[in-house]
Amino acid sequence: MTSQPAILAEDLTYRYNGELAVDHIGFSVAPGEILGLLGPNGAGKSTTVQMLTGQRPPLEGRALVLGLDVAQQPKAIQARIGVCFETSNHYEQLSGADNLALFARLFDVPDFDPGLLLERVGLDSRGNDAVERYSKGMKQRLMVARSLVNRPEILFLDEPTEGLDPTSAASIRRLIEDERDRGATVFLTTHDMHEADKLCDRVAFINQGEIVALDTPHNLKQQYGQRQLRAQVVGPDGALDVRHLPLDQPDTPDAVGRLFREERVVTVHTEEATLEDIFIQLTGRGLV
Amino acid sequence: MSLLRRIGTLIAKDIRLYYLNRFFAFITVMSLVFFLAAYFLLPRQQEDTTRLGYVGPALPALFEQESGGDGVFFVSFDETSALRQAILDGDIAAGVRIPSDMVERLEAGERPAVDLYASGSIPTEFRQIYALVVEELVFAWTGDTLSFEVEEEILGPDMAGQQVAPRNRMLPLLSVLILMMETLGLASLITTELTWGTLRALLVTRVGFGTLFVSKGVTGVSLAFVQAALLLAVTGGLATEPLLLISFLLAGSLLVTGIAFLVSSVSKDMLSVTGLGGLVLILLAIPGLTVLLPGLTSGWIRLIPSYYLVEPMYRVINLGASWSQVGSQLLTLVAYAAVIVAAGVWTLRRRFS
Repeated sequence: MTSQPAILAEDLTYRYNGELAVDHIGFSVAPGEILGLLGPNGAGKSTTVQMLTGQRPPLEGRALVLGLDVAQQPKAIQARIGVCFETSNHYEQLSGADNLALFARLFDVPDFDPGLLLERVGLDSRGNDAVERYSKGMKQRLMVARSLVNRPEILFLDEPTEGLDPTSAASIRRLIEDERDRGATVFLTTHDMHEADKLCDRVAFINQGEIVALDTPHNLKQQYGQRQLRAQVVGPDGALDVRHLPLDQPDTPDAVGRLFREERVVTVHTEEATLEDIFIQLTGRGLV
Repeated sequence: MSLLRRIGTLIAKDIRLYYLNRFFAFITVMSLVFFLAAYFLLPRQQEDTTRLGYVGPALPALFEQESGGDGVFFVSFDETSALRQAILDGDIAAGVRIPSDMVERLEAGERPAVDLYASGSIPTEFRQIYALVVEELVFAWTGDTLSFEVEEEILGPDMAGQQVAPRNRMLPLLSVLILMMETLGLASLITTELTWGTLRALLVTRVGFGTLFVSKGVTGVSLAFVQAALLLAVTGGLATEPLLLISFLLAGSLLVTGIAFLVSSVSKDMLSVTGLGGLVLILLAIPGLTVLLPGLTSGWIRLIPSYYLVEPMYRVINLGASWSQVGSQLLTLVAYAAVIVAAGVWTLRRRFS
């Protein structure tokens, strides 16, 4: 017996002024899974999140979230999910604690203590400061905290680490992992391949509104990626140079032999294809 | 219960944000202070006398300059040049110079010239009135009397001797202006929420569009009503028919809240709210002219919804109009408010989606 998917999208479609933004996409996300939706800006990631979270009704197809149809019961779904927007949208004149308390009241969360969440995102010492005095990273951490006030069963994160410094980005990734460990399902959009590789159980590539691949990062690399050998050699003029040899090919042993015979090899190691390499291979364009 | 609690939470948040914004807080307090000051600085009583400059022989008893009662009050000057200068300086609006040998020349059958000096700023009708006063004066000197009697028929309330003081005439207009000031604040608050995306954040909680608009509506009506009611209470405007006036203020607050929705649905920032809101404010202030300058306004003013607020409020405050006399205007105002709120909700929702 299989459990009901946390998210099920079937033939989901959206157009802006007649132009397709999301083109009949379909996928499912299992409970407790982290699914990453990868694509460049304008690929349809945010529109997909908006449809799944009831902000924008699908023009065609349907989406079931927690078994409920988003077009029919958006409020029932929104009560059980958390949404972290792409850009900061706090009440800037209120403090971080007051922002969280406000949303907790709107979610009818009893006995809410903003201090606990602020501590989780490392803002406990600044909780009483007005948000307008926060840095971009602090605001983004508060965004993630706000999406957690109702202990959501599914967390939708739209580019949560976009433009953040490495420390802030790492703390947000830890939070996402903590939520997954708690049992929450996470739907993450990003164009950061490293983030997706580290965090996601599965990733979906979206390009021009269409999903072009969906699998675990490992399987995608196996299926589409090309492992290669990277060797550092000393060139004729004495300067260091780099040679790449594709692995897993019939002529790989001969090529490696030739390299060691004909060149002065200094270092050698193998490299796996990145998700970005695969995305480029599949779509002919980069992720940024 | 949880729905009411959510609406209460949103209202408390809006009012808190409103007063955390120093500009709104300042404007709210200052507009109330300013309008109260304007009210109390305006004359307490209607001026019933006309000051007319005079150069000439001693006045007949009927026109004694010390009479001090209603009508024409003569201010004597020794020289024509002094009279002319007083008119140019704006001390008096008009004056006459009568030759010192006026009576003798009249008795000799001559037609002596009487000079009437009038400021260019007074209407032609007033100049004709001053000319009539001079004729009266001459009749008094020569002993002739008018061969007919004037009979007056008063149309509408006879306010002779108890004219509405300028401050009370202005009071309904001040109330509308203060309502509109609060409207600009609400429109700016909504525009800020749209621009910053906080409305989007609210709408992915348990809060729906309906809850959101109810809370914004209650916030807008409360902010506007409290200010206007305070103005009327402090100025004594609520002395007659307070329930009726409060009903008008509530309907007016609903009207301006709808206008705030409309303004915010097409505004991008505080600057556009102020610009657009300012235009609307001027439009809504026009019906005040019917109160300030009765008879000088056109019928199309009745198309402006604030007419059904200013005019009946004027009649209630100053002429003691009752529910039966202004009830239909209250209903018209409520209907206008309902239509404008509905249009505001529709356009805001369209902008959001």
